[in-house]
Amino acid sequence: MDWLAGAWAVFRNDLRIELRTRYALNALLLFALGALLLILFAVGPQPIPTRVQSAFLWMVILFAAAVGLGRSFVAEERQGTALLLRLNTRPSMVFAGKLLFNLVLVGSLGGVSTGALLLLLDVSVARPGLLATALGMGVLGLAVATTLLGALVARAARRGALLPVLLLPLLTPLLVSSVSATQKAIQGLPWTEAQDELLTLVGFVGATLSAATLLFDYVWAD
Amino acid sequence: MYRSVRALVVALLSGALVAGFLGQIPQLDILEQSARNLYFHVPMWFALMMGTVISAYHSFRYLQSGDRLRDIRAREAAWLALLFGLLGIVTGMVWARFTWYVGSGKWWNFDPKQSMAAVLLLIYGGYFVLRDSVEDPDTRGRVAAVYNLFAVVTMPFLLYILPRQLPSLHPGGEGSPAFTQTDLAPAMRWVFYPSVLGFLGLFWVLYTQRVRLSWIRKRLRREPEL
Amino acid sequence: MTLHPLSSSDAAPSLRPQQARPDTAAAYDSTWTEQSDARPPEGLERVMLPDGKIYVVLAVVLIIWIGVVTMLFRTDRRIDALERRLDQDIPEDPA
Repeated sequence: MDWLAGAWAVFRNDLRIELRTRYALNALLLFALGALLLILFAVGPQPIPTRVQSAFLWMVILFAAAVGLGRSFVAEERQGTALLLRLNTRPSMVFAGKLLFNLVLVGSLGGVSTGALLLLLDVSVARPGLLATALGMGVLGLAVATTLLGALVARAARRGALLPVLLLPLLTPLLVSSVSATQKAIQGLPWTEAQDELLTLVGFVGATLSAATLLFDYVWAD
Repeated sequence: MYRSVRALVVALLSGALVAGFLGQIPQLDILEQSARNLYFHVPMWFALMMGTVISAYHSFRYLQSGDRLRDIRAREAAWLALLFGLLGIVTGMVWARFTWYVGSGKWWNFDPKQSMAAVLLLIYGGYFVLRDSVEDPDTRGRVAAVYNLFAVVTMPFLLYILPRQLPSLHPGGEGSPAFTQTDLAPAMRWVFYPSVLGFLGLFWVLYTQRVRLSWIRKRLRREPEL
Repeated sequence: MTLHPLSSSDAAPSLRPQQARPDTAAAYDSTWTEQSDARPPEGLERVMLPDGKIYVVLAVVLIIWIGVVTMLFRTDRRIDALERRLDQDIPEDPA
């Protein structure tokens, strides 16, 4: 109960700061939409195969998250509030709170970019449930990885393009499975066809989530 | 210990080279004599695996103890894993170029095992970029160790689960990652296993050398200040 | 089991076969069939293919050898740096 309250407080605080400026969310969404439009302009008005459609979608989500997320830890380190957090809360609370916040960000990112892609390409999804599951698992895995790696990157002195460099190769299994599952959802294949992908996604999210929960203590502690 | 392993490595690898070129192998269609590459290409991946495991183990111990030697061990093992992985990919490219893709002139055709191995190398590349970006040695060790362990968690997906789900020309889709026991003719085993052992030993010798060197360098850097 | 609650009546796996992901190795071996071409091998093929492709093995062994030698040279450079550092730190050392 105490733990939940602490995690919730961390989340609420981040959300409050975010809602005051809406910087991260706006940057994220604009980046995703801009990238999506640019890709579609570059491809031109020809029909795009479903495999390529789902690949576009996930590339945009991945790159937007890699560029836009992980800000919150950097902000803490810069303003010195990290010390206050370290004194008052346990690491796992901070991790849960930040994870929840990133989940909200990536979730809206995923929802908006999927909606935009479906609208722009005039795609009708034959299996919305499968699409939502794939999207949800992908977003969860993405949020877990960005939370832990964001905390890592915040400790680095020279940040630059560090988060994408670390994040993108690690998320390759996630990308491959979610692109494949998304494609099957658009095509309307039955759930049993996407079984491999979904199980891989579940396993990946479970493995990364437990590893990140265990490892976060070491990143956060001084 | 070190000296005897070193002597053993020299003996095993010399033997594997001679036997690898002169020994009897079954005649296969596309592979022909290049099946002998089994003795040299596959042990690269065994060495890579050994590197990742050693590196992860020492990263784990570093998080527990904070001992700087553990960090050096983890780093050197990762470095050698990178080297052997690179050798494995390049040798695999050459081998595939003149067997699977012969006549097409392709060096790289996105075979899942190939691509995933390349991604693995990118992960270790990220490990060294991360190390270089942190100034304070204690923080650097911890951050690198956390990244290393997190990466190790995703590796089974990269190396075992995903390649199974994708179509591939690479042997061993069902069983072990590289080949199945039945693929290996009995005559080849007598060369293959010593060769694997020899390359693992080579890994160990190089690794020990580099760790000793790094340790001396660290001590030298320290002592004038104290 | 919850992953596939749909009954088999929904199953229409091959509605659009031309868009489905290829599930066989066929996607990767489009070039295999060209092997029967009677063209004389040229360039690299001419070097590598004779004698049962034994030169492929030679190339692979050479690459590994080059890798090990590179490693050797890097270690050498490190030892050089250490020696220079030793010379700087204790120049008046009688030994």
